[in-house]
Amino acid sequence: MRIRARWLLAAALLGWAGSAIAAPVVRPHAPPVPKPLELPPDSSMPPYHGSLDHVAYGLSGELRFAEDRTDGASNPDWFSFGEAGGFLFAHLSSRLDLAGQGLWERVADDFTLERAEVLLRVKRSMQAHAGIFLAPLGRTNLSHDAPSYDFAERSLVATQIVGVPHAQAGIGLRALPRGTSASQILWEADVVTGYDDGVITRAPGGTRIPSGRNNYGDQNGLPMLTGRVARRTSSGSEIGIAAESGPYNQTTLGGVHVDDLRFLHVIVADGNTTWSGFRLFSEVAYALIDVPPGLASLYADRQCGASVEAVRPLFDPLFRGWAGSRLNAGLRLDAVDFDRSIAGDSRSRLSASLNVVPRSGAVTRLGWYYEIRRDRFNNPTHLAGLTFTAASYF
Amino acid sequence: MPHPEKHSADDVTVDQGRKAGRVVQRAYSRGQRPWRIAAILAICVLGLHAMGCEKLLTAKPDPGGRFDAPLPGLDNGELGDFQDGHAQFRKAFSIADGLGPIFNNVSCASCHSGDGRGRPENTLTRISRDAVDLAVDLGGPQIQDKCIPGATPERLPSGVLVSYRMPPPVFGVGLVEAITDSSILSHEDPGDSDADGISGRANMVTPAFYVPGSEPGGPPGPRVGKFGRKASVSSLLQQTVEAYHQDIGMTSSYRPVENVNPVASHAAVDPARDPELSDAEIENVMQYMRMLAPPAPGASTASRDRGQTLFTSAQCVKCHIPTLHTGPHEIEALANRDVALYSDLLLHDLGDGLADNRPDGSADGKEWRTAPLWGLRIAREFLGGQLFLLHDGRAHTVDQAIRLHGGEATAARDAYLALPVEDQAALADFAESR
Repeated sequence: MRIRARWLLAAALLGWAGSAIAAPVVRPHAPPVPKPLELPPDSSMPPYHGSLDHVAYGLSGELRFAEDRTDGASNPDWFSFGEAGGFLFAHLSSRLDLAGQGLWERVADDFTLERAEVLLRVKRSMQAHAGIFLAPLGRTNLSHDAPSYDFAERSLVATQIVGVPHAQAGIGLRALPRGTSASQILWEADVVTGYDDGVITRAPGGTRIPSGRNNYGDQNGLPMLTGRVARRTSSGSEIGIAAESGPYNQTTLGGVHVDDLRFLHVIVADGNTTWSGFRLFSEVAYALIDVPPGLASLYADRQCGASVEAVRPLFDPLFRGWAGSRLNAGLRLDAVDFDRSIAGDSRSRLSASLNVVPRSGAVTRLGWYYEIRRDRFNNPTHLAGLTFTAASYF
Repeated sequence: MPHPEKHSADDVTVDQGRKAGRVVQRAYSRGQRPWRIAAILAICVLGLHAMGCEKLLTAKPDPGGRFDAPLPGLDNGELGDFQDGHAQFRKAFSIADGLGPIFNNVSCASCHSGDGRGRPENTLTRISRDAVDLAVDLGGPQIQDKCIPGATPERLPSGVLVSYRMPPPVFGVGLVEAITDSSILSHEDPGDSDADGISGRANMVTPAFYVPGSEPGGPPGPRVGKFGRKASVSSLLQQTVEAYHQDIGMTSSYRPVENVNPVASHAAVDPARDPELSDAEIENVMQYMRMLAPPAPGASTASRDRGQTLFTSAQCVKCHIPTLHTGPHEIEALANRDVALYSDLLLHDLGDGLADNRPDGSADGKEWRTAPLWGLRIAREFLGGQLFLLHDGRAHTVDQAIRLHGGEATAARDAYLALPVEDQAALADFAESR
């Protein structure tokens, strides 16, 4: 019985991997199968794999096989789900849409409700939205599905400073892109619940902003403001700056005043372009945290991080007649400093990846990373790993 | 799911991929195919190499060069307990976990760098009115200068006796625990009967009420105090429980009531239900510390051999006794062996210069437990290149530490000072090679 279960598991794994690796050859004039719902002019939606009249839906997932080591000791978790998510889009009328999306991820071992929002096209170039949505805090937070990502892990600045995926309840306005050919300014401005005091209270060992993410309720009656302005050129390059700012903590507990209002400010700049065949992307974040005085010197009031990545297609198409398939190589350097006031409490990582993209929306990656973590004494811990990941939309 | 504001990542990828593909095709025509193949080969070779190369997938550190290595000779079960305890020792507590309401730091490892000694910023402040009155009504016996929101941190009150204590190393405490009382007491000379000016005595202490009799150092008391700068604790369990309670603000079944600031206008508490630690978590950390090996001493050199000879001739060994002997222990690796800790674990008067003038149990304000000389060889690596020696870290070199000795150590110190400079250096080199 146990042997049969093992074979079934192996078959299921091979099937999953196969769906990403051996995707059907898409001939230049063949219609996409299955046919997705015709979506509004905003063409940024993922490749939906099913449609029911006005509803489109789909799934995404990632499998991870790895040999991870910490100071030479192997991590026994050689296989895991990297992430699993689902999404749904309902086109109710020419102006009104509903969107829902959820994601479970291995790194945080947490489920995030990324979207549960109503979208109302106010005018041709502007959309209002309300509900739960991803804060526009950098490009990675806005677009981080595993199948469209070039590395097995998201950057440290994204996961450790911004807290990708970082979704909140709120309401706001944003510009709708005018196709992809024109140079344009894009923007979004939202009033959201903001990070909560998990930034401090659920953060073991020091300030950790992601511990206060995914806050769907406000603790102090005052919202945070978040927004992003970006310039996108006709060639696809983009540079953007985003911020989120406001009070994060609980000031009263059971009617008793326990703390003053404390503010958190996160600023993120990102940019991407192509140069000599390389696709370059960088994201930088800086955070200022008003820490309660009783925690000063242990909990950081300033944090920062940066990542730079370069991806180059080596073969496109990977095989003749297999349109859309390609082989990419990528290199990323990223680092975060959790406490600007001391030498330690930081992480830096180098990642390399060789990706087979059989079709748009699926990828298999062979990756390697080397990371140095430093504790507050500045003592290093070395981590490294070889990873094989397969991610796809379904 | 990509955000409406931006291109679909796939769109971007496809567009740019096609663009790059055209570049690649042009490269074909220019005969540049080899670099692409070389790039792929390089990455594949890197991957394959990584599978067999320790450095690309991190190398195991030399266990003799670390403070967090297990004792040799542990069985698989003990090594499993060691790993569990290691994780618990490193675990940083959040407010949601029960940190506070008042505390000094967030984890064991936050004070003990690399599981060794601490830095000056981790110094603890102990207060009392005398040997018996620990000034609990003023925040004693230890000042907690950090607090969670809503609580008030403690501040040093006036009119109390104060002692500043650096976090000591935690490796080797299992061996210290296993050293028999008789082995320690055999070196006592409270009346200085041999008239050598050295009169070591044990700090006989009563174990805390919660320490069971089955625990080493447990009742019936009084027992020989082995832990702490003044040897005021006899049991590793007590040391662990009190460190969690006093330093981190974590309650346990042994100390189930939160430590609060007695002079604060209201007693804020953390949101976690008490006890915040299970007995198993306490046990894990205790067992981990028990099984921590002292780092290996440095290799023998001519200078160190000379220093060792001088260490003996200068009478340093009168207190820094090279070896003590352990008795039976449930952990085989700790049982019936010599321990080269260079300490007699007894109290000695070290003079006015080092006195904190704060009695602790039966230890008076000038007495300190002889500090074991181990782990010094690699201490700088874990302290940002510096050394912080003596109870309050005031000495930054072995030479400085020796010069600060007084009281019963006066003769040995003077003998050291009388040595030629190169011999002083050799002696210090030997001590720092431990």
